[in-house]
Amino acid sequence: MLLDVHDLHVEFHTRDGVAQAVNGVSYGVDEGETLAVLGESGSGKSVTAQAIMGILDVPPGRITGGEVIFRGRDLLTLKEEQRRKVRGAEMAMIFQDALSSLNPVISVGDQLGEMFTVHRGMSKKDARAEAVELMDRVRIPAARERVRQYPHQFSGGMRQRIMIAMALALEPALIIADEPTTALDVTVQAQVMELLAELQREYRMGLILITHDLGVVADVADRIAVMYAGRIVESAPVHDIYKAPAHPYTRGLLDSIPRLDQKGRELYAIRGLPPNLMDIPPGCAFHPRCPMARDVCRTDEPPLYEVTESEAGRGSACHFWRECLHG
Amino acid sequence: MAELSKNDEQGDTTPNVSEVEVVEARTEAEEVAALEAPVERGEPILQVRNLVKHFPLTQGILFKKSVGAVKAVDGISFDLYQGETLGIVGESGCGKSTVAKLLMNLERATAGEIFYKGQDITKLSGRALKAVRRNIQMVFQDPYTSLNPRMTVGDIIGEPFEIHPEVAPKGDRRKKVQDLLDVVGLNPEYINRYPHQFSGGQRQRIGIARGLALNPEIIICDEPVSALDVSVQAQVINLMEGLQDEFNLSYLFIAHDLSIVRHISDRVGVMYLGKMAEIGTDTQIYDHPTHPYTQALLSAVPVPDPAAREHRERIILTGDVPSPANPPSGCRFRTRCWKAQDKCAEEVPLLAVPERFKNSDTPAAHESACHFAEEKDVVHAA
Repeated sequence: MLLDVHDLHVEFHTRDGVAQAVNGVSYGVDEGETLAVLGESGSGKSVTAQAIMGILDVPPGRITGGEVIFRGRDLLTLKEEQRRKVRGAEMAMIFQDALSSLNPVISVGDQLGEMFTVHRGMSKKDARAEAVELMDRVRIPAARERVRQYPHQFSGGMRQRIMIAMALALEPALIIADEPTTALDVTVQAQVMELLAELQREYRMGLILITHDLGVVADVADRIAVMYAGRIVESAPVHDIYKAPAHPYTRGLLDSIPRLDQKGRELYAIRGLPPNLMDIPPGCAFHPRCPMARDVCRTDEPPLYEVTESEAGRGSACHFWRECLHG
Repeated sequence: MAELSKNDEQGDTTPNVSEVEVVEARTEAEEVAALEAPVERGEPILQVRNLVKHFPLTQGILFKKSVGAVKAVDGISFDLYQGETLGIVGESGCGKSTVAKLLMNLERATAGEIFYKGQDITKLSGRALKAVRRNIQMVFQDPYTSLNPRMTVGDIIGEPFEIHPEVAPKGDRRKKVQDLLDVVGLNPEYINRYPHQFSGGQRQRIGIARGLALNPEIIICDEPVSALDVSVQAQVINLMEGLQDEFNLSYLFIAHDLSIVRHISDRVGVMYLGKMAEIGTDTQIYDHPTHPYTQALLSAVPVPDPAAREHRERIILTGDVPSPANPPSGCRFRTRCWKAQDKCAEEVPLLAVPERFKNSDTPAAHESACHFAEEKDVVHAA
């Protein structure tokens, strides 16, 4: 396993109290595999990624437990100095908003080149040549001329390509993409996702794709981890989960999106709101919104049960996963 | 909503300008009275004809001179029928939000007409304009910035009554606001709370309640659910559908999410770079698209079905949308179109039922602005 996150806990100390953002998340990614982490805002999907990358704001954030095993060593025990060498060179991140992730007063060529001057100690001239080649590889037309331009001179899709180029620069083993196409138009989103999938195949990278879009997930993921209130509620190979979800939250999400290929019936709406992370309901965090909830759900927190009817490793944190799977 | 598509069967969805009943000079009082008259279900309530909005590009600080124009909306026509939902889709920069602002009279049109119950609202002013504005309301995209953080929910929803006191006399207002909160599924006791005390979905309900306050006939929704989480989106969509039936509303629903637009719309218009590329019923557009842009747009939408990924044809467009300040000649889509020929650069394709489908009753016989329109199903897996 390339990356193995084990029982990760993250909390945020704020004036109003302690927000339990991540409450025991475990997931893994192999070389060449795409893991989609699906969840709504506040589910802890991005915070988990920030903890893995080591870019969590501390304080107010604090990792209170767990391990992040990457290529055999626990990143959480490394010193910041060593951590920095891993970041960029061995694992890289692509953010949602390319415009605010790029420095507006430095040319894209210099920003790309920085990867090589800082990590590889290259001369500025060589770094510039590498930058042009990278821009070619992510199919930015006229790379040689555009390398001197600034971020505002590029369209949204092109800026996201530059972000991808930057992440790929040092050929990392793992890429974490946090909502990489959410800000883009659908035709541009298709271009960018195709590029990302192609580059991943070429370099055999592990990819963690963080998203709330069930369509994008179905298109590219091998495995899915569904998060709710800082926990993984279901984890399964992509085909299984769309065929028959084993958690009522996953089922609710799938039923609540309209279909492109048919005129639907009334949409199923999950009642209520996602929980306040400072006051997560006892037992199963989803129970106040769950149509299947019973007394045990209000008191006992469900572990991630192994869904034994599936061949490949599949888990569901629902006491009644069997019922959900067949209902 | 079968009665709405009676025009489609005749293969002509755009009545000519001459068909629009233009009312000759009337007194202001008569104008206002005409605007209050009800419209039958299935009749056009809003008729947009050759609507144009150009934003001038200027140079210089003291002596501004015009150096061109951003052609945000460049001659579009469509009808909105009473009681229906017309979806408008397109990518950013296609002009769909400018259309919303023009219909609200928040921007003045450069040219063209918007007939509301037979009167051109682009030319109205004073009392008549005020009466129109009462009947056409808007729900905005971002529930975080479209509500004043310093006003209570009661003041936000009740503010329209300050401008139109005839709808609710002063003594009744509190009661009226509480009724509205109830209608959109919020607790009427929340009337004294502030926007920050609500979640995104609840805030959008507040925005909808404000839109409903003056009993409008038309609500223009500009990306009303795109800022919301998936599970909350469904709640708001269901609410809007319920309200439409309850209050007999007509919706113009602008969004970039094609699945949501299909779900809520009776008819759909596809915009590209300030022009309408294709318009028809939801089945005509989604299952039988004839414009290459619509086909590319639909094929790019990922569907939540992993089994479909190997079987669906993807049309990946190259390049970006050209600048609306300098659009391509002829067909605006030709620079990204795989079917483009010389004719496309020379002749602007008109939005009409393509010649080849004119005498057939296939669902492909709907208006499409392409010289080489042909049907292609890109949504369903082969």
